[in-house]
Amino acid sequence: MGQGHSRWRKRWQNRRQGAVVCAESDLQGDITIGAKTVVHPKATIIAEAGPIIIGDYNLIEEQSHIINKKVTDADGSTMCVMIIGNHNVFEVGSYVEALKIGDGNVLEAKCKLGRLTELTNGCIIGPMCEVNIQETLPENTVIYGSNCNRRVQSDRPPTQALQLEFLAKILPNYHHLRRPTKTLPKLNP
Amino acid sequence: MAAYMEWERCLLDCSCGVSEPISRLYFCRYCLKLRCRECVSHEVDSHYCPNCLENTTSAEAKMRKNRCPNCFDCPSCKHTLSTRATTTVITDPTDKTKTTTKKVYYLACGFCRWTTRDVAMPDMTVATGGLKELENPHANWIGGVLEYYMELGQLEKVQRDKKKYAKRKTHLNLSDKYGLTSVVAKKRGMLSPASLQLKEQADKVKVRDISNRDASDAVEPLSQDYYTTDCILSDITTISQRLALVELQPEQTKNLFPSRKLLIIRRSHRCKECEHNLTKSDFNPSSIKFKIQMVAIQHIPEIRFIKPPMLVFNEESEVVLTLTNPTVIQSHVNLLPSNKENDKLVTAELVLPSSELILAPKDETVTDYGEEPSDGSAYQDDPSIVTFRKANKIGVSVKVKPTIESGNVWIAFILSHQYTNMTPMLKSESSGVSTFQLEHLVHVNLGQVSDSTAGSHSPGSRPN
Repeated sequence: MGQGHSRWRKRWQNRRQGAVVCAESDLQGDITIGAKTVVHPKATIIAEAGPIIIGDYNLIEEQSHIINKKVTDADGSTMCVMIIGNHNVFEVGSYVEALKIGDGNVLEAKCKLGRLTELTNGCIIGPMCEVNIQETLPENTVIYGSNCNRRVQSDRPPTQALQLEFLAKILPNYHHLRRPTKTLPKLNP
Repeated sequence: MAAYMEWERCLLDCSCGVSEPISRLYFCRYCLKLRCRECVSHEVDSHYCPNCLENTTSAEAKMRKNRCPNCFDCPSCKHTLSTRATTTVITDPTDKTKTTTKKVYYLACGFCRWTTRDVAMPDMTVATGGLKELENPHANWIGGVLEYYMELGQLEKVQRDKKKYAKRKTHLNLSDKYGLTSVVAKKRGMLSPASLQLKEQADKVKVRDISNRDASDAVEPLSQDYYTTDCILSDITTISQRLALVELQPEQTKNLFPSRKLLIIRRSHRCKECEHNLTKSDFNPSSIKFKIQMVAIQHIPEIRFIKPPMLVFNEESEVVLTLTNPTVIQSHVNLLPSNKENDKLVTAELVLPSSELILAPKDETVTDYGEEPSDGSAYQDDPSIVTFRKANKIGVSVKVKPTIESGNVWIAFILSHQYTNMTPMLKSESSGVSTFQLEHLVHVNLGQVSDSTAGSHSPGSRPN
């Protein structure tokens, strides 16, 4: 939980499959980022209350905040790990404090996800929607509208594989990338 | 400063007595009067779709029930559906090893992410026009009832006409005991061909037999499922979703269907008294220009105020009103005291400047292109009355004394200005432009009376 001592680890040692993390992004704390994930500049990932583990093929856009927030009244002994799955999209300006996010979710621009909510797979949180009740959203839920209406859709949202590929090629041409500070330690047999 | 932006602060009285802000009033230059939305008749110019901006004639629109042929509305959130394309791999039915990729299209909503695939609709093979129209299950019955009533109406019309002709006496007193009148008259050639025709028509028009749909008391008993099974909210449609599809009114979300987009109209306004056109917009739906635009803001000086004043009960304070001249002619404006008796809205006393105010003409190079305004030294201004002068705008200071302790302070005065008719009418006797003096009653809402005391509900402690 060291703040200011930033270490983030790459899962794969092979750099070809590595994540693309721009140097101008703000990363604090113990963060693990999976393969092929793209973190745009000005994205903020703060692991205050515990480590954050982000999966593969995610897209974290500008001004999005992924914060494992330290709750003031909680005792310091418990460590909360924030786990984010694969193929998620965190659009511009999204603010996420949720501890568990599954696969294939889309968090659209300027949405806010509270600490108590859990996302399963394929959920879409619409723009400017704030969801912070203690609930596990069922799969393929869409939250939209100023009243945060909900509906369940039958399909998963399409993945952004094309976009990720494009960004992985173009971003290094215009931004400095962060180098990983440490690779994953070998597991004990 | 925000008070300057509030357009509901300064209200002008229309000729019918209704107070509206200047932006909502029209000005009829034939009657030389202000017209509000009630004094104006609205006429439909054209129909167009808000999404594809396609113009439709009124007859075509009526035939299509005021719906766009190309655009669809999402049944879930009423936004516009857009067409998306995907490629599918289709195996050749004859040769199982060959596969061809084909482009298929489906409709999707960008807002709530509803797609036609959610209701198990097959993907379309063409980009536009692939969606099958929904059949109204009651279409036959409704069509039958409509035709029945049309025939009834026709029959009644024929009977009415027959009565008209039958009133003329034939001067032949033939009794109709044996039903021989018409036969005899026909033989003798007495009956007029017109009445003959009518009679024939009346015989021909046979109203079809429509079986009445009787309401019955026998209703199916409520199935036990309503009590035992859980209700899944996401499967049930909301009332607004149901009523958007009036023919079907589906109860389950899996039966939702996209509906065609409703057309909206472009209208033109006409003065009710003199029947002249006040506004007429361009034919092209994507153009916002007007062919004829006779709105008040282009002819009447606009009154606003910048800083909300400090209003204290029974104390005189200074308020600066800005007057803007919209015309290209120098304008002479007088602010006169209101002559309306028993004006319940007015809650303050007003001291107006007695001298005439001169407003510079509107210079388009300054207002539209941002060039430097000309120096206002050409006008001799009394600094106690005219606080500032900039291009076609001046600031006038008036003294206001609220007569109420709390609430909104309204002042009323008459704005008297010159109106020059730039485009002379054909009927006028003078060949050149004519100038008229117009007067309008203005009400201005200056804001709340501020309390200089601590508690607003203690009327005893008041500064005197």
